[in-house]
Amino acid sequence: MNDDATLRGKAAVVGAGISPTGRVPGKSPLALAALAAQRALADAGMDKSDLDGVLASHAFASPFHRFSVAFSEYFGIAPTFSNTLQVSGATAATMFNIAAAAIATGLARNVLVLGADSLLTGLTPDLALRSLSESRDQQYEMPFGIPVANTFAMTAHRHMHEFGTTPEQLAEVAVIHRRHALATPGAQMTAPITVADVLNSGWVTTPYHKLDCSLISDGGAAFIVTSAARAKAIAGRRAVYILGGGECYTHEHIFLMPSLTTTGAKRSGELARAMAGVAPADIDVAGIYDCFTGTVIMMLEDLGFCRKGEGGPFVADGQITHGGAIPCNTHGGMLSFAHPGMPGSMFHFHEVVTQLRGECGARQVPGAEVGLVHSLGAGFATNATTILGTEATL
Amino acid sequence: MIDPADAHRKPLPVPDADTRAYWQGLREGRLLLQHCRACGAVQFYQQALCRACGAEDLEHRPASGRGRVHAFSVVHRAPGPAFRGDVPYCVLLVELEEGPRMISALTGGDPMAVRFEMEVELVCEPQDDRISLPKFRPRPGTRA
Ligand SMILES: [Zn+2]
Repeated sequence: MNDDATLRGKAAVVGAGISPTGRVPGKSPLALAALAAQRALADAGMDKSDLDGVLASHAFASPFHRFSVAFSEYFGIAPTFSNTLQVSGATAATMFNIAAAAIATGLARNVLVLGADSLLTGLTPDLALRSLSESRDQQYEMPFGIPVANTFAMTAHRHMHEFGTTPEQLAEVAVIHRRHALATPGAQMTAPITVADVLNSGWVTTPYHKLDCSLISDGGAAFIVTSAARAKAIAGRRAVYILGGGECYTHEHIFLMPSLTTTGAKRSGELARAMAGVAPADIDVAGIYDCFTGTVIMMLEDLGFCRKGEGGPFVADGQITHGGAIPCNTHGGMLSFAHPGMPGSMFHFHEVVTQLRGECGARQVPGAEVGLVHSLGAGFATNATTILGTEATL
Repeated sequence: MIDPADAHRKPLPVPDADTRAYWQGLREGRLLLQHCRACGAVQFYQQALCRACGAEDLEHRPASGRGRVHAFSVVHRAPGPAFRGDVPYCVLLVELEEGPRMISALTGGDPMAVRFEMEVELVCEPQDDRISLPKFRPRPGTRA
């Protein structure tokens, strides 16, 4: 972080769109990306010829290594700023931070931030899992049959050991997310669940049951980020400003994670809050990467919404849903809305942007002005936070 | 794209320029750690520089092979077909007596009986004529 400079209020989201999500057979990652991008452009009132920047996450089910470049050809544009980013699940928030930086420094005017994949129907289930597991190191991790889920499971397990977090508290995270999804049109999961359902859903990797784990989905999301001045002119009160960003990378291998129970999210959150000039209590709504139930509990602590070790009781006390201290993932998250891999966290952005626009209807958090999205991946190897706000927060 | 046949083979490490000595050591039944002659740091895994001070003067010394379970997770749903026949198996995050941690898997014990801080010891398990994997079993006198 450079203390002499800030992204605060320099750029804003003026368009947001999501493709069909859930089970979407017959649509490639590029097709899903293009559908999302068309909707984001329509939302912004822009034409594709207005785009001069494209940032995209990698897509497992796409043969293109340069997804942002392949997308531009597919979509019929020739941007002058483009990159395909790969820091696993943290990629989403890094794209917003980098888009804002590119706009603030004159590299681009209107940046399309994009992520889409078809992990559910574009890959067989075995190969989808295999492609995720291959993101672990081939010398020191994979020979032991360690799926990515296992790295997250070990952190949650250690959290239970150190702080007494219970399986019921983990399950409550899944139950709340499912309840949120039931109020969200287009969510992949549509049937309510109970704590008992989670605990009886069968082990995946201890302490995680099937319903402690996020979904496998198809889908994508796209956003238009532009300068604050242009945002004010074209979007008015619907513009959602980027107030702060932060990242933190503490390790590559899970065995070099400094602490299994305090993650790089602590630092990335501090950096984002310092830039935005807000405290945890100022944040009205959050999108927290929910690849697993225990991940949410640890992030609530590391992001400062509750004290270390108290995430389980915080969730059980109703603090992460409507009426609580920090409503999280009001769309249902990756646990119940959709999780097409790296784009999973893009739906958190879509929800927080929609909340800050006041357009969430029955699931609207009243008076939401400041929102936080935290993206993470690879067994907490990668962490990125973005803080967003309405015009009133500038 | 991914070849479906690959999913049925267990991935074996391919030693690289940094790690040839490590895998050779395991072949001979020794888990080699790097000790920095400049600053005294002990590191796992092997690399060209000391992670703490940047010195290249690193000495390979065998670990005692003793450690404790810092974290674990019992895998019931395998990451692909290659490991399906092994479930349930216990992935271990072992904290070695010398300090560094490493990922391994339990061998010769009940995966469901593994506990935090349980004492374990090294077992080098040959996989082919080239690679032995460092696994751990409960130390005699401890339950699992
Ligand atoms: Zn040193």
